[in-house]
Amino acid sequence: MAKTNIIKRLYFPLTTKIRQKWQEIYKVRWPYLFISPFYILFLIFGIYPILFSFYLSFTEWKGLGPIKFVGLRNFELLFRDKVFWQSMTNGVILFFMYVPIMTFLALVLAVILNSKRVRGFRFFRTLLFIPYIMNIVAAGFTFRLLLNQKYGLVNALLGIFNIPPVPWLESVWGGRISLSLLVIWAWLGYNMVIMLAGLQTIPGELTEAALIDGASSVQAFFYVTVPLMRPVILFSVVLSTMGSFNLFSEIYNLTGGGPINATITPVILIFEQAFGNFRLGYASAMSYLYFLILFVLTLLQFRYFGRQVD
Amino acid sequence: MFRFKTLMFLLLTASIVLSACGGQATPPPAEATEAQPVTEAPATEAPAATEAPAETSQLSGTVTIWMWKAAHDALTNSGVLDEFKKVQPDVTVEIVEYNPADVYQKLPLALQAGTGAPDISLVENSHLAQIVALGGLTDMTEWVTPYLDKMNAYKWADAELDGRYYAMPWDSGPVVFYYRRDVFEAAGLPSDPDAVSEAVATWDDYFNVCQTIMEETGSACFSNNKANNYGRLYEMMLWQQGLGYYNEAGEVTVDSPENIATLEMMKRFWDANLTSDQLEWTDGWYAELAAETDATPIATLIEAAWMGAFLKGWIAPGTEGKWGVALMPAMEAGQVRAANDGGSAFVIPDQSENKEAAWALTEFLFGRVDSQVAMFKASDFLPSLEAAYDDPVFSEPDPFFADQPVRPIYVDVVKVVPIAYVYGPHYPEMNGFVATAIQKVATGEASVADALKEAADAIRAQTGMP
Repeated sequence: MAKTNIIKRLYFPLTTKIRQKWQEIYKVRWPYLFISPFYILFLIFGIYPILFSFYLSFTEWKGLGPIKFVGLRNFELLFRDKVFWQSMTNGVILFFMYVPIMTFLALVLAVILNSKRVRGFRFFRTLLFIPYIMNIVAAGFTFRLLLNQKYGLVNALLGIFNIPPVPWLESVWGGRISLSLLVIWAWLGYNMVIMLAGLQTIPGELTEAALIDGASSVQAFFYVTVPLMRPVILFSVVLSTMGSFNLFSEIYNLTGGGPINATITPVILIFEQAFGNFRLGYASAMSYLYFLILFVLTLLQFRYFGRQVD
Repeated sequence: MFRFKTLMFLLLTASIVLSACGGQATPPPAEATEAQPVTEAPATEAPAATEAPAETSQLSGTVTIWMWKAAHDALTNSGVLDEFKKVQPDVTVEIVEYNPADVYQKLPLALQAGTGAPDISLVENSHLAQIVALGGLTDMTEWVTPYLDKMNAYKWADAELDGRYYAMPWDSGPVVFYYRRDVFEAAGLPSDPDAVSEAVATWDDYFNVCQTIMEETGSACFSNNKANNYGRLYEMMLWQQGLGYYNEAGEVTVDSPENIATLEMMKRFWDANLTSDQLEWTDGWYAELAAETDATPIATLIEAAWMGAFLKGWIAPGTEGKWGVALMPAMEAGQVRAANDGGSAFVIPDQSENKEAAWALTEFLFGRVDSQVAMFKASDFLPSLEAAYDDPVFSEPDPFFADQPVRPIYVDVVKVVPIAYVYGPHYPEMNGFVATAIQKVATGEASVADALKEAADAIRAQTGMP
């Protein structure tokens, strides 16, 4: 008897709670119905694949035929896979190669183009943004032609100044620099627009006051604009962090991950394993490990910078 | 924000992994069955026809083929499709052009998804074994059995899995030695094919010839990119010796003494600065092949028979009469001077709804001497069908090669191509690791032995092969 009482006591409030909740939902059933298509699609194309690939990461599967359960073997292999760790290192290297330059340039250009006094600022804003909407396949192809060691236009121009041909796409660091150039070219406009949006929130009086107090415009930029822009800069940097590990089309179309795997990123590697080698289990394991690492990285970024922003 | 990013990231991961399940849009196959024209043959005759041999049975419907441009051109320019139309008037052939790289991405996805594949796809031998191992192809054993001893024997290795056959060979890639007569002459070397064959009998001899050419003309001997090398020439060198990435027992041999010696030989040419750094199939490479005599063209090119078609067709049509064909060098004197590079075959995905017609076309194109000869004339794709070699076209002189009859060389070479274990179910993965090793050696980042050892260890770990 006592037993049922306990169950009742525990169970009853719970059921009423659920019932109340459902009643609330029922009251707003129409709005829910109208927003449901997104959630249904998300369930099918978002949640299901995430769970399925989690399961796949413990298996060996070609995408056809039987799925073989292998336990933690994929992860064990992964920890010994030098190419995977190199791809993570590459992400870090690429991050330091282009993010500081790109962020700084984006901010400076945004400040310059935010000033209505610059003649034709709309034209320049558009000009800088155009690369972002350009097809990266075409851009990658063009960069390949421009950067060809023997026949490229860039080396031909450098030749005028007696600079020997640079092995842009034919050496480890040349490849990384070429890639950084392409990424900066393609993403500078996008980051500039984010900065421009941020600048709109800073009252013009602050800079003005600084200038009246005798600060030079460079000082005003570093001591007034930059500190106030911190949250926006953080946002842009966090996006770029993810971006450098996720680089795909830029690499696929410019360097193909070479030379000597110098520009291979985790996403390129996952793609190769899944669709080049038909190792869906291994690729899933890679995705999960990579996700975990990036998750921790982003967490740290927010912990560290987030405190300072407030 | 934070949760949103996480979610977005999860989505990204998911989408990458799940793309495998996405279907592919292909031309609707249904259209043909509706638009089937009524033939003169009365309906009552149809059942009787099915009893007759394949040549006379009337098939219908659309056969969709995925292939690349060069192959498409071979079919179109040779008129074989028109001939087929006479035999099977109710079968419509639809060709969709994809680059080989696109085929190797789209075809596996379609096979995995179970939908979206064509009725026939052209696949290079390098990727054939991998796709056969993936599954989803029609078992063609019953159909190809009559052809097993009629094709170049080594072509069947990649088509077979557990005693069943899943592909029908089209062409073989016997490797020969293309050279520029004008450059050889300028270097004071003999330019007659037999004399050249003799002069480059071994890789050591070849090295000396290359040095002379470099000293006398300034031309690089051959293209062999360093930082982005993907191992094609290295594979031909392995093949010539009957080596490969693994052996008959399935053991990885990437770091065997023979493989190391082969890469050491390649390294000698880099160290002596005798090669050009232009990557194959890029504009710089084409430019050096098409260059005028005084513009330091590439002197030699070790490549398969199909390269002849590309040279005269679109890479270097302006160099007609300046090329010659000899035998490739051997690693050691006395070895066969033959290797294979590429070559292709037709596969019929299991999901095809028109397999009979697909096979009828395949057999008509590749199993019939007349078709093979016609396509060879139009393309230089050397038939794997050996009976075709008796055709008089094979002894005709070729103006592109200064009226040298080059085809007998292709045939002589293809008949002695050794069995080698370069291609296989793990080819893309093995090739990837070895290519990285070659790049490290070429750029001086690692010694040959270390680089190949590292590649071999990685291959063993990743493929589970001993």
